[in-house]
Amino acid sequence: MGPKSEIFSQRLVVAVLWNIGLQTLLGVVLVFVIQINFLHPLEWISSTLNDIFGWKMGLNIVLLGFVSFFQAYIYGSYYMMPLPKYFTRFSMFLNMFSVQNSIFGILYALSGYFTMGLYSSLANSEYNNLKKNCQYSDGQCLMEQSLFLQFGGMWMGLYYFLNVHIFGTSILLFPHIYQDKFQQIKLAINNILSSGFKSSVMPVVYYCVFYYLWGSKPRSIVSNVFSLYLEDPPLDQIMNLINSGIWIGLWLYTSLFFVSVYTMRTVFNIVLTEPMKFPIVSDTSLTLHKALAQRSQFIGYLGAQDLRIISMIDPGRRQGIFKLSQPGGHPRNWNSILAEGLGIINDFNTELDNINGDGKPVAIENSIHRNIVNVSPNAGLSYSGKLRNMAQSPKILELKEHKYNKDDTLANAAKEEFNIFLQKLCQKPGISYLFGELTDTKLKFLLSQAQPVMWTCEGLAFIAAASLTEDKYGVVQTDLPTLLSTLINLKQNLDKLSKPGLIPRKHVLNDSFAIKMKSSLTSSVKRSIYKIVTTFSKYIHEIPLDADVKIAIQPFLLCKEA
Amino acid sequence: MTAFYDFPNLPGPGEIAFCKLNEVYCCDNRNYGNISTFTNATKNHPVINVTRDIHHHRQTDENISMYIDVEDNLLKKITSVWYKQGFLEALSIAADPTINRESKSLALAATYALKVANVFSAFRYFLQPHLKDIGPKIVANYSNTRAWGHAPIKCLAWHPHTTKIAVAILDDNVRIYCSEVSFVSTLKCKAQVNVSSLSWRPFSASELAVGCEQGVIVWSVDPNSMFTKPSSSNAVLLKRSGHSPVTDVSWSPNGDLLISCSGADTSMLVWDVSMETAVPLRRVAGGGIVFARWSFDASKVFAATSSIIFRIWQTKSWSPERWCARGCRVVAACWGPGDQLLVALPSGAVVGGPVLALCWERGGRHLAVLFEESHLVALPSTMAFQQNFSEGSCLTVAWSSGRVQHFPILYTDSY
Repeated sequence: MGPKSEIFSQRLVVAVLWNIGLQTLLGVVLVFVIQINFLHPLEWISSTLNDIFGWKMGLNIVLLGFVSFFQAYIYGSYYMMPLPKYFTRFSMFLNMFSVQNSIFGILYALSGYFTMGLYSSLANSEYNNLKKNCQYSDGQCLMEQSLFLQFGGMWMGLYYFLNVHIFGTSILLFPHIYQDKFQQIKLAINNILSSGFKSSVMPVVYYCVFYYLWGSKPRSIVSNVFSLYLEDPPLDQIMNLINSGIWIGLWLYTSLFFVSVYTMRTVFNIVLTEPMKFPIVSDTSLTLHKALAQRSQFIGYLGAQDLRIISMIDPGRRQGIFKLSQPGGHPRNWNSILAEGLGIINDFNTELDNINGDGKPVAIENSIHRNIVNVSPNAGLSYSGKLRNMAQSPKILELKEHKYNKDDTLANAAKEEFNIFLQKLCQKPGISYLFGELTDTKLKFLLSQAQPVMWTCEGLAFIAAASLTEDKYGVVQTDLPTLLSTLINLKQNLDKLSKPGLIPRKHVLNDSFAIKMKSSLTSSVKRSIYKIVTTFSKYIHEIPLDADVKIAIQPFLLCKEA
Repeated sequence: MTAFYDFPNLPGPGEIAFCKLNEVYCCDNRNYGNISTFTNATKNHPVINVTRDIHHHRQTDENISMYIDVEDNLLKKITSVWYKQGFLEALSIAADPTINRESKSLALAATYALKVANVFSAFRYFLQPHLKDIGPKIVANYSNTRAWGHAPIKCLAWHPHTTKIAVAILDDNVRIYCSEVSFVSTLKCKAQVNVSSLSWRPFSASELAVGCEQGVIVWSVDPNSMFTKPSSSNAVLLKRSGHSPVTDVSWSPNGDLLISCSGADTSMLVWDVSMETAVPLRRVAGGGIVFARWSFDASKVFAATSSIIFRIWQTKSWSPERWCARGCRVVAACWGPGDQLLVALPSGAVVGGPVLALCWERGGRHLAVLFEESHLVALPSTMAFQQNFSEGSCLTVAWSSGRVQHFPILYTDSY
């Protein structure tokens, strides 16, 4: 992990420390509950204290530390990388068997094994050893219950891994308000405990079925390797399994395993999603616009979140944005933030355009053209970016257009032909099922990354609105047309997604998360436009806007846009 | 009553005040007086009158007696009660000897099960005494509306940006009156019972949060649509176990968060409405959260509990500051400009009697106070300031008779 992810790694370490603390607490509570002895309370407390401060507990804490460190590593590597894009069934299928996933699978199985062993040793259960002395003969016998538990632990690790990372998507969701860490954990505990005990029922059932079908194989292997005898009735008979009562133990330990995994997840989410204050200007640390430049990476998320917080409830730092740079008097702070923010929104917009145009390259070209044309009529008044944009003269426009038409070389033509051939091939029934691009997935993928876009929209809009009273130099107001047209553009693209009749059926989202994300994004874009329009409603005619943007903001002015 | 020494006298018999022009109250005859003789500022305001049609919809006992009682068999009865009202009600049906005549053993078992359940619930009420009251009673206790249970208008809310008002009436319909269109949209769905509060979402034209028995219903009513009865597919019900009945809903001034409070729940929920997720805010002590008020710049939230404690939350860190009122719970509160906070206690007779509701105009010039006791014939039941009234300020008052009056307070340029 590079220097940019320093914040991320620091947070991971904090999360691991929190996690170790909480897991230790869980262990202590377990010891306390298991040794319950109401008749001799003094004995109970002293034996508990003995156990807690004994070497076993220390060893366990060290083990726990290891487990949570490597889980942090897994989390880190899932969250740090930009989400992989798999849009065909085939690539999704291949992805399941990637090297990383198989390593993680093994690691999870090991962690399940260790956690299970840990809790059973804390609980002083007799199923810690595979071997025991035979009762009826000499030599060593196999303790099948402990084999059952140890395999169970691996099973649970794998089960959790499959459930969460392979069949589910792990997106870091930022809560809409951030409370104190301790408060959040307090609130989450109840939920963690109940869902841990509930969700452990099914894997235990699956495991018992699995053991009933296949249990004899590991048993025979283990007893051969260690040359042990089997004395007790075998556990792969249903009645024996039920009578031995080991399934209750398995359920308890599985629940504890789930509780500990959920605790870890919760702690990680809480620590990672903590809002961060980036300085507006700084020579040493990461500034806000540089954070925003990280786009869809973790720092980019934090930056966008911070921008929104500044714009809404932090007038002190807002002043920093409106300040002019000392030698020169340029609005550098605002310009760099605006450029990055618009970059985020425009990138998202282009992607949306792609989906709306069903992935045809024409759509992108058009959108670029439109953007240029959009800005050019008011070249005198609106300039975006750091400098006055001299490039918006019609001549340059022609030049650019020329450039687009130029790429007609043989190699390109061949490439195009090949692409068309591939596309045609992909439309054959069987092949299209495996290799055809799933637009639905594409949209889902795009929407899953919409969170920073929402924050950026709201952040920029609320800063622009605040500028009416707070911005002494009129730094922001020159950029209002660009901002408004970008927002309107995004809004129109979002509208196209949901316009009935225009979209093919495959765009219909059936994923409730994506639907919610979409409505959330739409509502936040509209709110941003409303914020600007209602704040500047008196002066709206003095803002040099494009004709189509002017038309598009009319319903907002009249408060008629649903 | 010394606080009122510079207030004018009440209008003469048969007269009512219509508006206030340059500090002068304009009064005229109650029956044939017309506000347009004084000012045209509210000419386009929607005329709201709910008295006439209320009687057709009122649900009274006579209404129920119209239906013929159908004798179901016992199992069907129990299952339907279980489905509709829950397990405990089903138990009490099974235990009731007048209903359950068929199986004695079931009745006996049910009676014992009920006894056990009662012990548990008694213990629960011992721990959390604020849960004892049931739904409508809690709302009626804490509502800022006079006689919430019988008032023809339960609450009203002005849209923050246009001349549009939402009115919740006795039969739990919410009507939306708009200055531009002549028809009235009526919002009604099955879950919308015991409406306690209304709140329009800022920076949105269409979204209205309705606090009711089950939770919060967020309606999105397309302002361009011509339907007078939008279907319930336009509504999202946000609910959470234990958070019922909702006694207050309020949107943040930025339009991003929605806070819902329930007098029976010790935590106040902060909703992200489109993601349908809520974060509970809770601290030890204080009982149920009755209502919450956002400060104008969204930096603070005032939360009143059903006990003497009230809290002020900083929205930057979402950490509360705890305050104690003297002797009694806070009945009404409102923020003014510049983070001023006004808090009213029923016993604190500073201004001239127990206060029921407070309303501060956005500009901060006028404060409307609703008193609990009054010797007048017609009583105001609830009120709200219009938020986008550019000519001055406009107070909308719903009277106990069902009349809704727009009361403009105007200043001419020369004044």
